[in-house]
Amino acid sequence: MALHSTIAQLVTRRRGLVWSTVAVICAAAIGVLIARMKLDTEVLNLLPGGFESVEGLKVYNRDFVQVRDLTFALVCQPNDVDKLEEFAPEFAQRLREQPWCRRVLAGVPIETPDGVRDLQSIALPLFLNLEPAAFDQTLALLQPAKIQERLHRLHEEIEAGSPRPQIELGLDPLGVIGPALKPFASNASIEEDQPLTSPDRTMRVFLTVTNQPGIGAFDCQKLMKDVQAFQKKAHEGWEGGPLEILVTGRSAYVAEISLSMRHDIVITLLGSILLVSGVFYAGFRRWLPLLGMGISLLLCCLVALAAGLLIFHELNMVTVGFCAILIGLGVDFAVLVFGRYQQARDDGADHPAAVGEAVKSLGRAIFFGALTTAVGFLALMLAGSRGFTQLGVLIALGIAFAGIFMLTVFFLFLPRKSPAPGHDWMFTLVKNYVRWAVLHPARMLWISTPLLLLLTAVAFSPRPPILFDVSTHSMEPKRSDAGYALKTIMEKMPTRWEPVIGMVKAENAQQLHDYWQKVEPRWTELQAAGKIKGFSTPAALALSPQRLAGNRQKLQGVDLTAARAALEAALAEEGFSRETFESGFKLLDELKAAADPATRLPDWRETLPQSSGWWFLIDRYFAHDPLLTTGFVTTNEPVATQEQKEMLHRDLPVAGVPMILSGWSFTLTDLVPWSHRQLILISGLMALFDATLLALLYRDWRLWLIQVATLAMAVCAMIASMKLLQIPLNLLNVLAFRLVLAIGVDYGIYVLLVWQKARQLDHDVAGVVKPVILAGLTAICGFGSLGAANNPTLAGLGYACALGLFWSLAATIFFTLPAAAAAEPKSWREESLQPRVKEPENV
Amino acid sequence: MSNKFLFLSLSFFLCVFAPLLRAEPLSPADLKSLLSRIREKRAAAPQVQADFQEDKNVKMLNKPIATSGKIWFQSPNKFRREAKGTLPSITVSDGQQLWIYYPKFHSAEHYSLGKRSPLDAGISAITASLNLENVEATYHISATKEADGYQLQLLPRNPSMKRFLQTFAIKMNGDLQVIRTEMVQPNGDRIVTTYSNESRVPIPASTFEFTPPAGTDVTTPLGK
Repeated sequence: MALHSTIAQLVTRRRGLVWSTVAVICAAAIGVLIARMKLDTEVLNLLPGGFESVEGLKVYNRDFVQVRDLTFALVCQPNDVDKLEEFAPEFAQRLREQPWCRRVLAGVPIETPDGVRDLQSIALPLFLNLEPAAFDQTLALLQPAKIQERLHRLHEEIEAGSPRPQIELGLDPLGVIGPALKPFASNASIEEDQPLTSPDRTMRVFLTVTNQPGIGAFDCQKLMKDVQAFQKKAHEGWEGGPLEILVTGRSAYVAEISLSMRHDIVITLLGSILLVSGVFYAGFRRWLPLLGMGISLLLCCLVALAAGLLIFHELNMVTVGFCAILIGLGVDFAVLVFGRYQQARDDGADHPAAVGEAVKSLGRAIFFGALTTAVGFLALMLAGSRGFTQLGVLIALGIAFAGIFMLTVFFLFLPRKSPAPGHDWMFTLVKNYVRWAVLHPARMLWISTPLLLLLTAVAFSPRPPILFDVSTHSMEPKRSDAGYALKTIMEKMPTRWEPVIGMVKAENAQQLHDYWQKVEPRWTELQAAGKIKGFSTPAALALSPQRLAGNRQKLQGVDLTAARAALEAALAEEGFSRETFESGFKLLDELKAAADPATRLPDWRETLPQSSGWWFLIDRYFAHDPLLTTGFVTTNEPVATQEQKEMLHRDLPVAGVPMILSGWSFTLTDLVPWSHRQLILISGLMALFDATLLALLYRDWRLWLIQVATLAMAVCAMIASMKLLQIPLNLLNVLAFRLVLAIGVDYGIYVLLVWQKARQLDHDVAGVVKPVILAGLTAICGFGSLGAANNPTLAGLGYACALGLFWSLAATIFFTLPAAAAAEPKSWREESLQPRVKEPENV
Repeated sequence: MSNKFLFLSLSFFLCVFAPLLRAEPLSPADLKSLLSRIREKRAAAPQVQADFQEDKNVKMLNKPIATSGKIWFQSPNKFRREAKGTLPSITVSDGQQLWIYYPKFHSAEHYSLGKRSPLDAGISAITASLNLENVEATYHISATKEADGYQLQLLPRNPSMKRFLQTFAIKMNGDLQVIRTEMVQPNGDRIVTTYSNESRVPIPASTFEFTPPAGTDVTTPLGK
């Protein structure tokens, strides 16, 4: 028995069996969803793999404590700046009191007594880590004569009115801490790197480290719930005008994005269902098939999601767009199948025969339609992005299931007794158009061809340029409080932009030290040459065990008892209060202990208090694994061009030091060539696939040429529209081109396959053009509904695809059809329009 | 007998005239009026020069440091201070830059102002006593009327100023000339300065300019 007859037999005579099968599939899919549902909220998984910069960003996000940082900003009116200064310590104190807050940085640590004390606590290991020449020079300061000479000089300078000696003695009574901290201090200027007050003083920034247990979406949501509660009452005590309390950071973004998923799912799905249903009902005026189509599509979504979960074990947030896209695409099959079924019923066939006829005449077209679309989406795997790979596979699976279910399950919902056909104005309109286009193809072509060629010219013209947005902003949610906070901070502090990260991992402490010792001079040269604005590295804190051992040995040769006595004597002679110099005596004791090789040298990580503001600086450099570190390079301008990126790629790395360059701006710039390749190469491959498939399918060079030209002009019209409407391309919506090629080609396939086998041209072709129009409109609605998504990658993809499909549909109706007619002799066309059987005016 | 007479006479004098000598706090309206008068006077002659005597009690040192010299001030923020003695120094500010030159050490310190460093608060405190322009914005002010003038008590308003200054007292004579200031810092340091020979004749602009002599070792302790 032929396949179409088997299917017709099953869905009309063995309905119970089919229903039971559907129920089992449905239950299994729901079971998988309940048991396995796991969402991947990591936005970085949308970026392609295999890029060092992307991997570096992932490592930085995962392994460094900044992943738990939240940045607060208070923004006041210009006339409240003094009040803000007064309020800031109160706000910082309240932050410290929050149970979710582990540490707060509200000011520059060196300007506070605690900050100075904390620095003194880590001075010893840094002193012993000085390079030999600097260590010898500093050690000489502990000679009794030098101690006396220095204190005498500083006393005289105090008497002369200099403020400097008091500052110096407060931090460094012996004169050895300054040189010890010099390598650290040279790149430890928090205020210069990350100013905490805006130049106009209307904004104060507070850096916090939270104690959230995990970095997953639910932990972030829980934290941000507490933070929002704090934000609401944090104004207490503020007496000025309007005060904005802003917060940003990874957790803020993740919480927002994960919560906006729910919004995106509901809005895009509901939008898609409503629009698609509206189009279907407008076309066929039937409720039951509409319901059947909805349930069949829901089944496709369920089964594809379950299959996706079984394959990938977790699904990226971008796959939330999957259902809307699948509905937009899968409905095409329902429209076509129901259109053909209805036509057969109207031609007098009974229910089983009409089912058989629909499957028989459209099975091949749906197979190829599903194939091209699935291949188009499977091509997303070539992007190398985990998120988009999942999306591609899910939709390819979904389309395959849609093809199967629309040719089987869908028929369960069609009434065996069809109501009497009414007047179908849409079919009449389409039929009249088809008839006119077939008889006078040149007239239509004179309108459509110049328009499409004009748009093609616009697409190729350098003006207006197509916008290509590779900024970090293009990846942010559209309505995001965290994004607004970050934007406000960046605007108020124009000198502040994201640095490039140089990530170095070593096997041991000595290797880490050696690596950074090689990097520092190289970057210093680049700074001196004006190639970079500045840099900071963990070199000073990457201690060398070899150097520590050598310097401790040297320390044994110093008479620290005499140094102590000299300090006592100098204090008495110069009239200094002993109390101020307590930390000097303490350091002498520590040096004495360090000189003994049997004594364990204190680890600066243990001696530096956990509440110290210096941790904000240190945590920038060191991951949880202290052998994984980063240096930061501030470029002369924000990284945006390939030239900048190439220069950094070429100049920053040092021979023999494995270094990964990363950072958001750097990574996005790094991905531009990838994105161009996606746009040109992969879309080209897709076009080649389409062209080959069409050649095999039509076996007619004229039809092949017409459809290839249609596709080319549709894509050009899409580019021209994006240019004219100023819709930017971003790193991800370039994928839309291959999708348009994959889906848009189907419209031509449906029309031209029927054209080739039509018995009466206007009746048969109109019978497929009407469903194609409806299918195109539903697909446009499906993709267009993605525009409502908060996730800009989904929204951008939705807009681009909707535009592309619009032009594919328009080109098929107004160019392919008349062009196919024009390719035939006039006599053939006139003959083909003669009725062979009496047909009703509806489908 | 004569001692007893002297004691009684003194007691009588104190009982009768003590109320006249007692300092009286000024009402807000009177304080406003006083500040307004000071402003008018300063506006009429926006420059001043005077001799000074400074006693500085630094917590770090057991003995106070005494300095004397001359100071020049031009509203709103230019000043020059020359300290004499065995350890002389010249401090010059044009409002944006501050130089402190030590002739004995052939060295100079250069600071950039306006970067919200602690130094700015210090300079602001020094110029406040000489200028008293818009002091209400920076300090909570109270004042008392005394027999021979006024005593102003200034408490800093904002935290950056509080980090540098705890209290600041200014004593003025009847002609509203500053004759004494007392500055107490949070770390316990206390600086008392007395002024004399005040003059409001015009001051050449070059007074507030400074170029370190050749061979001077210039440092920037707070960076550029």
